[in-house]
Amino acid sequence: MSTQLSGASARPAAPARPGRSSTTAGTAALFRFALRRDRLRLPVWVAAGTAMVALQSVSSQSFYDTPGALAAYRASVGSNAATIALAGPPVGLDTVAGAVAFEISATVMLIAALMAMFTVTRHTRADEEAGRTELVRSARIGRHAPLLAAVLLSALACAALAVAVGSAATATGLPAAGSFVLGASFGACGLVFTGITAVAVQVTGHTRSVYGLVGGAFAVFFVLRAIGDIEGNWLVWTSPIGWAQATHPYSRDELLPLLLCLVAAVALTVAGFALLDRRDLGAGLTQPRPGRPAATRSLRSPLGLAVRLQRGAFLAWALGLALLGVVYGALADSVETLIAGNEQALAMFGDPDVGELVDAYLSTTFSITALLAAAYAVSAVLRARSEEGEQRAEPVLATATSRSAWLGSHVAVALAGSALAMAASGVTTGVVRVLQTGEAAALGRMVGAAVAYVPAVWVVAGLAVALFGLLPRLATALAWAAVGLFLVITMFAGSFDWPGWVSDLSPVSWVPLMPLEPWTAGPVLALTGIAVALLATGFAGFRRRDLATG
Amino acid sequence: MTAISVSGLVKTFGTTRALDGLDLDVATGEVHGFLGPNGSGKSTTIRVLLGLLRPDSGSVRLLDGDPWRDAVALHRRLAYVPGDVTLWPNISGGESIDLLGRLRGGLDPRRRAELLDRFDLDPRKKARTYSKGNRQKVALVAALASDAELLVLDEPTSGLDPLMEAVFQECIREARTEGRTVLLSSHILAEAEALCDRVSIIRHGATVQSGSLDELRHLTRTAITVETARPATGLDALAGVHDLRQENGRLRFDVDTDALDGALRHLTGFGVVGLTSTPPTLEELFLRHYGDELAEDGASAREPVRS
Ligand SMILES: Nc1ncnc2c1ncn2[C@@H]1O[C@H](COP(=O)(O)OP(=O)(O)OP(=O)(O)O)[C@@H](O)[C@H]1O
Ligand SMILES: [Mg+2]
Repeated sequence: MSTQLSGASARPAAPARPGRSSTTAGTAALFRFALRRDRLRLPVWVAAGTAMVALQSVSSQSFYDTPGALAAYRASVGSNAATIALAGPPVGLDTVAGAVAFEISATVMLIAALMAMFTVTRHTRADEEAGRTELVRSARIGRHAPLLAAVLLSALACAALAVAVGSAATATGLPAAGSFVLGASFGACGLVFTGITAVAVQVTGHTRSVYGLVGGAFAVFFVLRAIGDIEGNWLVWTSPIGWAQATHPYSRDELLPLLLCLVAAVALTVAGFALLDRRDLGAGLTQPRPGRPAATRSLRSPLGLAVRLQRGAFLAWALGLALLGVVYGALADSVETLIAGNEQALAMFGDPDVGELVDAYLSTTFSITALLAAAYAVSAVLRARSEEGEQRAEPVLATATSRSAWLGSHVAVALAGSALAMAASGVTTGVVRVLQTGEAAALGRMVGAAVAYVPAVWVVAGLAVALFGLLPRLATALAWAAVGLFLVITMFAGSFDWPGWVSDLSPVSWVPLMPLEPWTAGPVLALTGIAVALLATGFAGFRRRDLATG
Repeated sequence: MTAISVSGLVKTFGTTRALDGLDLDVATGEVHGFLGPNGSGKSTTIRVLLGLLRPDSGSVRLLDGDPWRDAVALHRRLAYVPGDVTLWPNISGGESIDLLGRLRGGLDPRRRAELLDRFDLDPRKKARTYSKGNRQKVALVAALASDAELLVLDEPTSGLDPLMEAVFQECIREARTEGRTVLLSSHILAEAEALCDRVSIIRHGATVQSGSLDELRHLTRTAITVETARPATGLDALAGVHDLRQENGRLRFDVDTDALDGALRHLTGFGVVGLTSTPPTLEELFLRHYGDELAEDGASAREPVRS
């Protein structure tokens, strides 16, 4: 905060001071302005994270109200690789408070990371891309001031999240010390992603690619810690999410791992400033190469344009889901060992068929993959919205391109892309299973299990299209809120026994849990029908409404 | 033969009444200037003409079709340059030109090459590395390289340097010789005077003047400076003479075009020694309409009545 105060000396009359301090001139003013711009946004992020913890605390305390219930829970979770992969290390499950931390921490870590990513990007690269930074920097504002203000704002938000979670968890009756350790672990995770974003906004010139880089980093770190937690090995220590969870709130209350987060956050932020000095305003680290003087044959239709605009994002997502399929498939072996070595689990399930438990694990992983594919589909549909909002739809719709053809091309990319990405993850999991078991039929079973989710993914895409047609200005926020809701439902409704109607809210829950359960036509027909209805609503709405201008 | 015919067009955005009974008639084959202060509704009108916005009321015909219902068919016959050209950051200028041309229904490669040359535009650059003027040129080349019978241009020269402005004027004159119709929204009066057969001036979403430049000039005043052998008297009694004043022994006044003849006859009676007359410019006409608005500004906050 001392730099912030030194920035306050940037009064109009003061002469420019030479040396280091002047590169941060104006940070205080920018910080206050950013705080004002985000006065609603940040409280919503903090409230969302805090509410998740408070709700989890209240529901777990009523759910595991007897020692027996808690013991049964411990037995089932301790052997469930999918749950461990999604939630974290199964530590401290002998108290309700420990169970709360186990159940909710991964979700709130994600919230903290997203909050940091959006906050830092919004006040740095997004402003720069829109040309606002140029205007700001022409005033008495130092070169480092915008990034410093953004990092400080994000750090403030992380601190607020830590305090709010600690207070809320304590207020719901959990031990105070552990509650604040839990809150601090979220804040620390947010700080690391603040640093990661500070670097990412220097590397690339596009806001969209920043989200890709930071989201990719989160995914990699999440997978590293998932493998580490299932295998019980050192891999958790390669991931900042693993560090934050190594605090083990309510059982061990370790604070030392948070120091790692802090050091990483500072080091990354310093790296961000160093990179900032090596690039031009408005540019990334690399200069764009010249393009083609004329268009190829493929760029001749609205679909050609949509494919050209979206192919990079599609390839990244498809590759990501295919790799995730490899990881999930590879972990299936560990699942068998985990169950075989867990006597409580063996006792609880009677004499379990290990093969069936592996299938159960795989079907859970495919439902997570389906939600990621749905997230991709939503982002692909919303590309139409950003094309419209940034005035790039207008010149196209002023040609002989109908509104349906224009929207249809983006929707086609979303539907086909999400189906292909789903199939890719099924193929990779299947190939790994074939190598593990030597059973060639596994490939077909895995691809079938993955593809079975496609209608559910399309329902989510259809919802985004309907929102785009009917409520263009709210579409982005509402569509992502829906994805977030479905994600939380799928991740936790099954593992933590939420009521049935809650899980039915998510189209993903309608799909039979293949390969464990058999395929049935009913849900597929219902989901396809809903998807078609939503798509039709969206197209009709878009044909009827004004194009958003300015 | 009318290419565009709009009457009583109303378009509201929430509580903003962007267009308030606008009329616009553009004859086939003419270059029509579309003038008005910032926020007067030029771009909104153009977007209604393109079927991008749906009118609240009023009638709109474009190339004998309904711009909302027949959008796709009509768009094959027109080319559009938006006021604010935003292109795809990772697609080169040459690719954007080809794409927009093909989506319209094809463009002439010879003409494309020629226009790139005349506008001195490098088609290999990615859109994000173009300067503002060069982005504008991409949209202009895409529109001008088409064989569209109607060109709809929304402030097409904003950001162009004077050399490129001259190239643009040349292109529009050629388009006119080829028999194309041009709707040209602009703030640059010299450009409108140089290019337009007729102009429409709008304000607050309604048309305030429309006609050929000669007709409009008729509505304005000529500025006269005269030196006479004997002191001229009685001029102030003549109708159509305004702002009469004495400066360095010369007499200055403005006179309505239809009162010009009478004023000059009157002056010859005093022995004219020297005379300069400044013909009315579009700028004057424009300023008169804008000027009213400036004067009205204070009142308009309380009184939202249009003139
Ligand atoms: N999408 C919109 N939502 C709300 N108001 C709008 C919208 N588009 C235009 N307006 C309003 O309608 C009015 C006319 O705007 P328009 O863009 O047509 O003006 P213009 O004549 O093109 O101005 P300029 O010369 O600055 O380009 C303005 O008051 C503007 O604020
Ligand atoms: Mg405009």
